[in-house]
Amino acid sequence: MTDMPLSRPTDMADRKPSASLLEQDARTKARNAAEKRFRLYGVAAIAISMIALVVLLATILTGGAGAFRQTYLNIPVELDAEILDPKGNRDPAEMAKVLTLSYGKVLDAAVEATVARHGLQIEGLSEKDIDNLISKEASAQVRDRVLAEPELVGQTVEFDVLTGGRIDGYFKGRVTMESAERDSNTSPQQLQLAQELADRGEMVTRFNWNFLRYADASDQRPEAAGLGVAILGSFYMMLVVLVLAVPIGVAASIYLEEFAPKNRITDIIEVNISNLAAVPSIVFGILGLAAFINFAGLPQSAPIVGGLVLTLMTLPRIIIPTRAALKAVPPSIRDAALGVGASKMQSVFHHVLPLATPGILTGMILGLAQALGETAPLLLIGMVAFIRDVPGGLPSGLFDPASALPVQVYNWTQRSDPAFIERASGAIIVLLIFLLCMNVLAIWLRRKFERRW
Amino acid sequence: MYDTNRRVENAVNLNDIKIQARKVQVYYGDKHALKDVDVDIQDKTVTAFIGPSGCGKSTFLRCINRMNDTIPIARVEGQILLDGEDVYDRRVDPVQLRAKVGMVFQKPNPFPKSIYDNVAYGPRIHGLSRNRGELDGIVEKALRGAALWNEVKDRLQEPGTGLSGGQQQRLCIARAVATSPEVLLMDEPCSALDPIATAQIEELIEELREQFSVVIVTHSMQQAARVSQKTAFFHLGNLVEYGDTDDIFTKPRDSRTEAYISGRIG
Repeated sequence: MTDMPLSRPTDMADRKPSASLLEQDARTKARNAAEKRFRLYGVAAIAISMIALVVLLATILTGGAGAFRQTYLNIPVELDAEILDPKGNRDPAEMAKVLTLSYGKVLDAAVEATVARHGLQIEGLSEKDIDNLISKEASAQVRDRVLAEPELVGQTVEFDVLTGGRIDGYFKGRVTMESAERDSNTSPQQLQLAQELADRGEMVTRFNWNFLRYADASDQRPEAAGLGVAILGSFYMMLVVLVLAVPIGVAASIYLEEFAPKNRITDIIEVNISNLAAVPSIVFGILGLAAFINFAGLPQSAPIVGGLVLTLMTLPRIIIPTRAALKAVPPSIRDAALGVGASKMQSVFHHVLPLATPGILTGMILGLAQALGETAPLLLIGMVAFIRDVPGGLPSGLFDPASALPVQVYNWTQRSDPAFIERASGAIIVLLIFLLCMNVLAIWLRRKFERRW
Repeated sequence: MYDTNRRVENAVNLNDIKIQARKVQVYYGDKHALKDVDVDIQDKTVTAFIGPSGCGKSTFLRCINRMNDTIPIARVEGQILLDGEDVYDRRVDPVQLRAKVGMVFQKPNPFPKSIYDNVAYGPRIHGLSRNRGELDGIVEKALRGAALWNEVKDRLQEPGTGLSGGQQQRLCIARAVATSPEVLLMDEPCSALDPIATAQIEELIEELREQFSVVIVTHSMQQAARVSQKTAFFHLGNLVEYGDTDDIFTKPRDSRTEAYISGRIG
């Protein structure tokens, strides 16, 4: 202990009295090196995440771009009245008794006629190959059209019919002559025929709006599968979340942050809100199944149930950022308002809330975006089902079975046909576009309401 | 319209006692922050509260318009009578009280709204005007009263936060004056301002005295000496000495006051 004061002068003496500022001493060098290293780590971390993002996006975009293009065969179809309207009275109710099978025969004849008209003769091409050029869904689509417009029967009408999944895949590069050799669903001859038809302008690949409109389709006909039901289902659920979670969440936040007394009960509530935000979403699914479907008796697979479950899940995720936004408003503003004789409520609604609006809106939209991408709870309440019928309009559509975008992605990745993998990637692109739009909206709203004064 | 009645009334009880504090105690949780404060604050007078940091002078000021109500752990005992009515009476709504007892804070805190809306906010929520023209009149009068009118009359719709610090503080004074209060509390209104802005505020305080009872908390003894007629010295939660400003600064009776004003404590 006693040598402490003694050691100091020697320390001082050790340091060169004439240390030049132009030369860095060892300590400074070590410090600068440490800083440089840290900056490098940071750059490396960002580079890695950027590369991961680019790879991810590139994979999805290359895999999913095909879903937005679709190959159609343009053929004149002779709608034979003998087959399609055996009673001959053009009554849709009577005509509805004719099954798609009959329409399939009519279409097969039309395809064969088109091939014959162009005089296409290909070695080893079977009649089945020719008929299978078009999708199994085509007959159903022609039937729908004819039932809607019975006067078409007896005429020859031009139809753009969906081609089969393999043919479609051939024009997108997914199916090749080599893979067709091994494929029981197609043959090189069939592809050759398709190529000939495309060369003659009868078969075209063009932008596929129907991907956003059609409902899901069965394993055998990926070319007819679309996101219509999923988009509408997701939209309905977002509507439910918006209508329920936002007002409840914002009101709860304002009350807890501004009005509630600080005591044990509010402490417990606060802790539990934070805990709820961390609860795995699938647990909310189980809760929804038990509470909304089993107990309350709401229908399965319905957007209303999905929306309620997502509301429960989103509430804490709205409350937490909203409270943070309210807390960030400087207390001097509250004092100022109270000081001129505003009531508590006036000070909150006239001054605090406007200042917190950008933060609240951001939290709200990010909460909604999270809900839009949520899959797990929806699986448990039956939204993973195969749904062919587009849900109706509001409000009854809320109770119709529907799917949801992320669930549709999950669903399609389960299927064996590679065309569904393409569809799944396409659905991911649609989902990402929606999320991007919501984030852009959040940024725009924050900018708009932010007061820089 | 705006305060003629009050002026007449004021003329009658000129320099009457406006605020009487009797045995005021303030506790923050277990901490006894203010002990047995007895003071009579006169109307049409500037009363300065001085004392070292943490002595309770701001605490007492915030008791007068019950701003301490916003602090959950604060507890006030004793009586503070405004014109003979206890402001801590159960029937008193602090919102009404604060319309009568305006307050200006340490840091200028204009609302992030236009200059006009800043001043008009109080009159609007208290329903002091029947139409836009009347409100315009109140705003102009308040801004003139705060010696700010000439500087801002051409840019009333510009944000109040765009003004300089001193202008912002005068805007806050205008905002407080606009609700036509009877007492104006100022909590170190110049501590965030430069000397020129401070001089303007002090000049303004001198003018405000004609209409209001002004209570000002200040860290600067020179400021207290310049602007006030009465001075109260607080130390460690006690009101040590209260009297005419001239007496406090020239012949303090208490040794602690003397130590403080001569710079030995605080």
